[in-house]
Amino acid sequence: MDEKQLVAKAQAGDFEAFAKLIEANKQKVYAFVRRLTANTEDAEDILQDSFLKAIDKIDQFRGEASFGTWLSSIALNEARVLYARKKQFDLKPIEDYLPGAGSHGDDQQDSIRLFDWQDPQSQLESDELRRTVNGAVDKLPYKYREVFVLRYIEELSVKEVARLTKQTVASTKSRILRAPLALRDMLSSTFEERYGKKVS
Amino acid sequence: MARKCPEYIENLSDYLDGGIDPELCAEIEAHLGECNNCRIMVDTLRQTVTLCREGKPETLPASLEKKLTGLLRERWRQKFGK
Ligand SMILES: [Zn+2]
Repeated sequence: MDEKQLVAKAQAGDFEAFAKLIEANKQKVYAFVRRLTANTEDAEDILQDSFLKAIDKIDQFRGEASFGTWLSSIALNEARVLYARKKQFDLKPIEDYLPGAGSHGDDQQDSIRLFDWQDPQSQLESDELRRTVNGAVDKLPYKYREVFVLRYIEELSVKEVARLTKQTVASTKSRILRAPLALRDMLSSTFEERYGKKVS
Repeated sequence: MARKCPEYIENLSDYLDGGIDPELCAEIEAHLGECNNCRIMVDTLRQTVTLCREGKPETLPASLEKKLTGLLRERWRQKFGK
């Protein structure tokens, strides 16, 4: 039975059909929500609430997107509601990540301190680097992690991300970019701690 | 210099996707050739994305999996009465 038939059956009240739709999508939706929330507890709550909400709204599913995408968009809304209540901090404006920002006018010195990806990559096992980068993504404020995950993990277009997060395209772009810039900052201090010296 | 770095930076994510017009693309590439700062931004973005995509996705915790079907069935019963 294909997805369309399962949806029709579920909408007519067949729980087994609905359970099959959930079964086929739960792992993928969980992986998405876990990335989005960066913690297991919130991810579990959101997944559970989203699937319950899917039951409430099952009649509204029109099949424009796949059932999995529909579930993910419900989960995204749940996450947005949860994180709207939590205190969020803002990342610095893009300009502040540029060399020379906040310096004493000594551009030369700042550019020496700039983090170079080539160095840590040769110093670290790639597994460890991957863990470090993923850990840093988890530390981002929600609104930045959200756009980063939607854009680069879920591979949605900037326009689509803007629509889903109810932002203008311009501010979406700015959030998307500030995520890796902040990561570079975070990683740079991680490596400094580890090696006891500035990364250059 | 035609543009300041912040203006280039706004386009770097589009640049990586290849979704910009050839003229701007050439301009950015020329700038990347001479601006260490913007080059590092592009590398950072590219590498972060690659490393994040390579990571294994988290799997659904067994405890949640166990109770999920029961919870859904209960809500289903409330809605459809069966
Ligand atoms: Zn530049």
